[in-house]
Amino acid sequence: MMPNLFDVELVFELIPKLLKYLPVTIELTVISMLAGLLLGLLLAIIKMKKIPVLYQISVVFISFIRGTPILVQLYLSYAGIPLILKYYNHFHETSYNINSIPAIFYVLLALSLNEAAYNSEVIRAALLSVDKGQTEAAHSLGMTYGQVMRRIVLPEAFIVALPTLGNSLIGLMKGTSLAFVCSVVEMTAQSRILAGNNLRFFESYCALALIYWAMTILIERVIALLEKRFDIDFKSLRKRKGDVILD
Amino acid sequence: MIEIRGLTKSFRQHTVLDHIDLTINKGEVVAVIGSSGAGKSTLLRTINLLEIPDEGIIKFGDLEVDMAKRTKALTLELRKNTAMVFQQFNLFRQKTAIENVMEGLIVVKKMPKEKALHIAKMQLDRVGLSDRIHHYPKQLSGGQQQRVAIARALAMQPKILLFDEPTSALDPELVGEVLDTIRKAAEEGNTMLLVSHEMSFVRKVATRVLFLDQGAIVEDGTPEEVFLNPRSDRTKKFLTNYHGSQEPEFSI
Ligand SMILES: Nc1ncnc2c1ncn2[C@@H]1O[C@H](COP(=O)(O)OP(=O)(O)O)[C@@H](O)[C@H]1O
Ligand SMILES: [Mg+2]
Repeated sequence: MMPNLFDVELVFELIPKLLKYLPVTIELTVISMLAGLLLGLLLAIIKMKKIPVLYQISVVFISFIRGTPILVQLYLSYAGIPLILKYYNHFHETSYNINSIPAIFYVLLALSLNEAAYNSEVIRAALLSVDKGQTEAAHSLGMTYGQVMRRIVLPEAFIVALPTLGNSLIGLMKGTSLAFVCSVVEMTAQSRILAGNNLRFFESYCALALIYWAMTILIERVIALLEKRFDIDFKSLRKRKGDVILD
Repeated sequence: MIEIRGLTKSFRQHTVLDHIDLTINKGEVVAVIGSSGAGKSTLLRTINLLEIPDEGIIKFGDLEVDMAKRTKALTLELRKNTAMVFQQFNLFRQKTAIENVMEGLIVVKKMPKEKALHIAKMQLDRVGLSDRIHHYPKQLSGGQQQRVAIARALAMQPKILLFDEPTSALDPELVGEVLDTIRKAAEEGNTMLLVSHEMSFVRKVATRVLFLDQGAIVEDGTPEEVFLNPRSDRTKKFLTNYHGSQEPEFSI
């Protein structure tokens, strides 16, 4: 009889146990992505408009984020934010409780800032790809800068940036596996806990890998679907006709 | 009535518009002719502040904008009094024909959607595109795109329509349909400022012709006056060269 070195059944038993922590992974991914997109857009606009001071700050910020590992950024967030709060308490004679900050906050902060730095370049390139003719036409109708941005530039830039942002979302989802350094228990942390209990490390990590893999494929599919949906082309005319406008 | 006083615009050292004075009355169809680089586009683009003039005053009835005291709010107000048709059409690519026309009505005029839809349908009908309202720009020919752009401009009911070489980017066989659309809009009493190289069209449709040269209005009169009895030598030279090279059948 072969020794029971690898227990396939256990892998499939562990998957549902890990999936209990999928919501944490999703929460980290979605919130960081949304914050990263908004902040990335802000950085892109600061860069495009060359707003003094903010521009210089953003250049240094982006360079720093690109120049340091995400793991180190998580450490910095986890160790640094309490320090800042302590200083704040000291100088403003307040007494905010450091322990009242949930651990997930440190992860969200680090991931959002990291995502923003990487997304800002993608967003800037996408914004610049929208031809000037359309924005001039919008301005000539009497639209404000914000209206032109929201209604004309962003929808088109979003489509341009979609494939790259999709990859960035996948990278972020996988990056949440580092959240354990801030004591947040998500899927990866839970797989280590389970493995520690039964000492079946490999099975636990196999189950974990399968879930990440499936998630990645799912995101890829959704992005591909969105790309198709937004691709305003002759091919998709028949499908899109009529569902755009009221009637 | 539109009044322009001392309108000046330079790009670095190069003065493109040099203290232009121009008054356009309601219902006038004013054509602007002139050689390439004369500043025709710049004149139109400074009137709706797509280019910010260095100095000058633009008045639309009660609304007076002095460039020295220009604010964002005044800029938007002034743009609401004008509508522009571009050489390259500049339709919103992610929007259908009818969405293109509705955009300004909903966003700028704050119209309810149903009302905007109604007006947009009517305007597209007027330019002969009622069967293309759900098409995207890239599904339309150049001539059709430009007609959508004209419908988009007309829908805003501006005090003046600005046309910047609306047929220059079109294949010759598509020029006619766009010129017909512009003529119809002119006949309906819209006030227009039109840059065009279609001289025979200008002669037929314009009530007034300006010849722009080196940043100044050199000629200002009826089509007959400007085409048949130009005052300045530069106008004569331009017209001779123009007709000599492009419309040999037409002589002065
Ligand atoms: N954005 C700009 N920057 C620099 N120079 C410009 C710009 N726009 C126009 N010009 C210059 O101004 C002059 C007039 O241009 P334009 O108004 O486009 O002429 P037209 O439409 O009569 O051909 C040209 O010499 C052109 O090179
Ligand atoms: Mg021009």
